[in-house]
Amino acid sequence: MNHSLIALVCVASPLIAFVVALVGFRRRHGIAAGIVLTSGVASLVAAAALLLTAHPEAQAFTSRWFVIGDVSIEFGVLLDGRTLIMGAVVALVTLCIQIYSLSYMADDPGRGRFFAFLALFEWSMLSFVFSANLLQTFIFWELIGLSSFLLIGFWYEKPSAVAAAKKAFIMTRIGDVGLFIGLILLFRATGTLDVMEIGRIFEPQGQPSSIPPGQIELIALMLFIGVIGKSAQFPLHTWLPDAMEGPTPVSALLHSATMVAAGIFLVARFHELFLDAPTTMRVMLGIATFTALLAATMAMVAKDMKRVLAYSSISQLGFMLIGLSAGSLFAGYFHLTTHAFFKALLFLCAGAYIHGCGTNDMIAMGRAGVARMRITTIGLVVGGAALAGIPPLAGFFSKEQIIGTLDGSGLFYTIIRIGVYAAAFLTAYYSFRMIFLITRPNADSLAVEDEPAHAQHAGSDHSAGHDPAEPWVMCGPIILLTLGAIGVGFLGGRIAALLGIEHAHAPTLAEMAPAVGIALLGVALAWFEFGRTGARQAGFVASFPPVQTLFEKRWYIDEFYQRVFVRPVVWFAKLCYGTETRALDGAADKLARGVVRAGGETARRHIGRLQLYIGAAVASVAVLVFYLAME
Amino acid sequence: MTIQAWMMFALVLFCIGLYGVLARRNLIGILIGIELMLNAASVNVLAVNYHVANDPAVGRIIVLFIIGLAAAEAAIALSIILAVYRQRTSIDVANLEELKG
Repeated sequence: MNHSLIALVCVASPLIAFVVALVGFRRRHGIAAGIVLTSGVASLVAAAALLLTAHPEAQAFTSRWFVIGDVSIEFGVLLDGRTLIMGAVVALVTLCIQIYSLSYMADDPGRGRFFAFLALFEWSMLSFVFSANLLQTFIFWELIGLSSFLLIGFWYEKPSAVAAAKKAFIMTRIGDVGLFIGLILLFRATGTLDVMEIGRIFEPQGQPSSIPPGQIELIALMLFIGVIGKSAQFPLHTWLPDAMEGPTPVSALLHSATMVAAGIFLVARFHELFLDAPTTMRVMLGIATFTALLAATMAMVAKDMKRVLAYSSISQLGFMLIGLSAGSLFAGYFHLTTHAFFKALLFLCAGAYIHGCGTNDMIAMGRAGVARMRITTIGLVVGGAALAGIPPLAGFFSKEQIIGTLDGSGLFYTIIRIGVYAAAFLTAYYSFRMIFLITRPNADSLAVEDEPAHAQHAGSDHSAGHDPAEPWVMCGPIILLTLGAIGVGFLGGRIAALLGIEHAHAPTLAEMAPAVGIALLGVALAWFEFGRTGARQAGFVASFPPVQTLFEKRWYIDEFYQRVFVRPVVWFAKLCYGTETRALDGAADKLARGVVRAGGETARRHIGRLQLYIGAAVASVAVLVFYLAME
Repeated sequence: MTIQAWMMFALVLFCIGLYGVLARRNLIGILIGIELMLNAASVNVLAVNYHVANDPAVGRIIVLFIIGLAAAEAAIALSIILAVYRQRTSIDVANLEELKG
């Protein structure tokens, strides 16, 4: 069987769908959606076929694009364990979300455009994943950024959505600069753009490669800056919660298998390189742990369901990076895979609730009785439990792997381990807080007094007054992803085999105990505070108002950026604008007015006698000829 | 005849044409003046061609082109004059003063 052809089908069909849908059928929504869905199915079938039949040993199919000097730029697909798994996950999750969008976006006047953008997104992500060349990697990395910009700002009439899209784009660009520098340095150090070749250069572990260690550290650090931007790690994480302004299916896509996953995938892709940069790995580990903890504290006080999920995405991305930077490709990659399923599931559930009751506020949702939406609620409980890491759901296995890899000794590792345990505890706490707030609403809880402005914040997508109905088009993907969130955890061995790791760390009961215990502790606390009958439904942090405010204000990081970076830039821009309008424009206007006046004066001298003009012209020529003849 | 004589003849012809273009008030008169000037140029070319050029065919071809272009130009000019006349029932240039400032 010809794998390169199948890979081509997988990658190219979303592109074709995007072009055809956007150019031909933007206003004929049904046709556009049909085309995009067809391409989604084609991609999924192709990706699944590749996953099942291709060898996990790396093989690349490339064709030359152009040659500069002796550097040949090639485009193509690289098939190995990492790309095969990720490609299949991306195709599957995207298809689920596309189907779901049929119902969710059914009344939107721009849904032809929406589906076209979804296809663009899928194309960028698949091409990025299968990329065989550094330049190709960078191009599609940027295209992922572009398509998420387009989708976050999909409701471009809404100022907040436009602001969020801009924020996401600019924040990730900061990281992209780092990535670009890193890729150039990598090219300079290795002399090749071929991803497979680079993997081979860094492969021999322990054996010092020809590149000086300092340079490897620098390259890894620069690549990591790109990852910080894309995967929303501290300090560039602030774009991600705002990205909730987009339609909920977009959030589901952005936060599970595409956009933010790209950063993690990059680390996994160049994991051999990162393993040769131990100092950078320590920095990464520190930042990732801090981010996981930071975002978890934000998630435990948020009232907006989509925001809770957004913070949890940041936190879980931190977990993936912890796994990768602790040295285990498998742990991070496994969590990336399982997270894609349960986070997409949770977002789709949130979307179904929002669609049903018209608010994003979990407390209002609970009161509106959305828990009656059976299938969605089952999805929510399964997804939330998977997020919390309750066995035997998907999140448990991967999170357990991550905790299992933290076996270093010393003060640094001790602090990291404490941080990770705390983050895992908070994860369980906030996911069950979410579940209990929705499924066990309490009519006279303390939380009544939340400001209504907050409830309607962050793009509640639909006006209230819907019946909480569950259309089957929405339920299908939810059911599918629920099964994924249950089942993917058991595929750990298969994933490890595909990644080329022979002895996946098989956890013993004793090793599992702390992870499970901590998760259950979090659940118990959530039950005590939110779940049990007569609970106050106020978190334990509510007893410390300053801490509560700190968490709710997202540690004032946004405010800090606003004051230190955004406002000076805006001030400077206004200064430039003022200079431009007053000084430059004024001068130009005056000049132009002068020209007009001079023209008017000259025009008055004209009498409109053609023959006089001709006579004058002939006379001038005659004088000129006479003068030249005299020379 | 010498080349000087031919060139003098062409100069006279050209000046008559120029006078017509500058002095006539009638558009058709101006057109006739332009034709005279073109013909003067043709005569000039032929004179130089006959007395100086190595290959006399070149000048003749040029003059043939001038005659063809003159015919085309006359056709276009006449149709413009006709259009002007239809619009203002006059072909006196004194009336065509739209470009006056």
